[in-house]
Amino acid sequence: MDKTAISRGLQRAPLGQFLLWLGPWIALLVFGVYCAYLCLRYGLHLTNMDNRFAFGAWIFLDLTVIALGAGAFFTGFLLYILKRKELRAVINSAVTIGFICYSGAVVILMVDVGQPLRAWFTFWHPNVHSMLTEVTFCITCYLGVLAFEYIPILLKNRKLRQIPSFLVFEFNMHKVMYVLAGAGTFLSFFHQGSLGGLYGVLNGRPFVYRESFGIWPTTFFLFIVSAAAAGPSFILLTTWITSKVTKKRLVTQEVYESLGKISGYILIGYVLFKTIDTLVWISMTAPGMGVHPDSFFASKPGYTALHLLEVTIFGFLPMAIYMTKRLRSQIKWLVTAAVLTCLGIVVNRYILTIQTLALPTLPFDELLSYMPSWQETGAFLMVIAYGMIVYSLSFRYANLFPLERELQRN
Amino acid sequence: MFPWVYGFEWTAGNVIFLGLFFTVVIVILTTVTVAVVRSRRAFKERRHHEVKWESTFEDLGSEARPCRHQLSGETDQRMCRHGFECKDCSFHKQMLDSAYKLVEAESDRYYHRGHAWVRKESYSTVIIGLDDFATRIVGPKARAKLPKIGRMIHENGTAWRFLLGDESVRVLAPVSGQVIEHGGPDRGWYLKVKLLDQGADLRHLLTGNEVNPWMEYEMARLIRMIPESCQAGLTEDGQLVDDVTAKCPSLEWDLVCSEILLEP
Repeated sequence: MDKTAISRGLQRAPLGQFLLWLGPWIALLVFGVYCAYLCLRYGLHLTNMDNRFAFGAWIFLDLTVIALGAGAFFTGFLLYILKRKELRAVINSAVTIGFICYSGAVVILMVDVGQPLRAWFTFWHPNVHSMLTEVTFCITCYLGVLAFEYIPILLKNRKLRQIPSFLVFEFNMHKVMYVLAGAGTFLSFFHQGSLGGLYGVLNGRPFVYRESFGIWPTTFFLFIVSAAAAGPSFILLTTWITSKVTKKRLVTQEVYESLGKISGYILIGYVLFKTIDTLVWISMTAPGMGVHPDSFFASKPGYTALHLLEVTIFGFLPMAIYMTKRLRSQIKWLVTAAVLTCLGIVVNRYILTIQTLALPTLPFDELLSYMPSWQETGAFLMVIAYGMIVYSLSFRYANLFPLERELQRN
Repeated sequence: MFPWVYGFEWTAGNVIFLGLFFTVVIVILTTVTVAVVRSRRAFKERRHHEVKWESTFEDLGSEARPCRHQLSGETDQRMCRHGFECKDCSFHKQMLDSAYKLVEAESDRYYHRGHAWVRKESYSTVIIGLDDFATRIVGPKARAKLPKIGRMIHENGTAWRFLLGDESVRVLAPVSGQVIEHGGPDRGWYLKVKLLDQGADLRHLLTGNEVNPWMEYEMARLIRMIPESCQAGLTEDGQLVDDVTAKCPSLEWDLVCSEILLEP
């Protein structure tokens, strides 16, 4: 029924089967929208966040998807600025994932601020001394860049490209894409960094406070590097998952290896930098503030172990896999490394968001615990469902993987 | 955000931060505006057909874009990057100027890479047909939808379409001009066209010794598309069968035609 809307030469599931796949995601999306509506209608007290635990599941989700969505800017930078032509095979998918991640993050932020209609205040009266201001501005701009990068992908749909003005516009957008890629790289550099800087400047919280280079704490740079490392890994992982779910060969082994190698090189820098930063924090920064790192989670040693795991299992191990040629040539090891790298991001953002806020700051405070309410969880899942739906529709009707047709024939 | 907003101060932080922000916003909006303006200009100058072809050409796989000089054996593997616009290609000029010259064709036809051919009728009129190879792929059941008499066709734009059921494919126009007469399969050609330019420039079309190697290349491309089980039934008495896709039910007419007629 929708065959004429699918690119020539591409095999896709029958419409009925596709709708069956979409059905549960749509149901989850509807449930999530309802949860979000409840929070907006009745207030944030429906969540388990409060004045003390101001950041919860939503901010954790935001930070995670923004880091994982960094594959969009980084792949664009590598392809359009550094001319790594093999990444042309995944750039459409990377942009789509980036668009999904950032638009999902903005949607959940609108719920998290409690009064989204007043969100314009942060633009109209910006506090330039706040990292969050920088984050807001850059994320909004970058979402615009991603939208402009995503539109040409849609306009190349088999039906839409028959409209001459769409095809001509798409062609001209493609010609200037390197400018958007450059702007995207610049914006991403700053907002990824500022998200990290947000925590590093909290001198009332020795757990996250870090030394600075100029006005920027080390977490500013660590966030940038970790996002740059996770981006290609996430692209690798999503491409592989899509390939498995659809039972199609979408890219060549060379593309997987290239993504893995890029991720590996950046992980070397990240692991080194993170290790040095952690050692400085343990030996100088925290003791200088009168707190020994051992004392943070004395009653919950597992939480401290998470720090170690982040650098070793989720940092050093995937780096070693990516940089070993023999392992990199096998897809199972590449995917394992990609999963570990992405989990490293999740763990890092969890430590900085949830663990940080759980720790007491005042003498009479206790270690807090936090579990999201069902409304929070529903809104969280709304973003996941939204992502699955948009990606599924894009995969079906837009040509996300230009090599697919050729590989199918071979 | 702006100097006139209450609370704004001309501090270094504000100036640097907002300065950078507005610079980036202006760059992004300017970029998109440039794309829109260029698109509108393309339509105004009636160059949108050229732009459409450039865009379509980029979407063709590398298999569909071998240089004509690779086909004729004059050079190693080389991909065309000029939309088959050989008259503007420095490499083509270089090859023509070199010692190896093509023998003048006996045939009076000039072939477009999309399988339409052109034959001069007079100084300013040509007839356009579809070569035998593509005709056998399109098959006898497809109906040709020709442009109206008086309509303009543009080089590398749509000359006419073939329809079969719900599917359709377009045939690329080898030259630009005004349609003055219709033909059909029974007449051996499809359109008679009065050329835009007096004395058509046909240098971008294949002729003479180039044609046979190209046809062999296209045949090899066709065979790669066809499942092995059907390949044996492709030819009868040394000739390609009249209706290729009818002989192989698992092969989609739309897919094969679009590959051969260069419609991604």
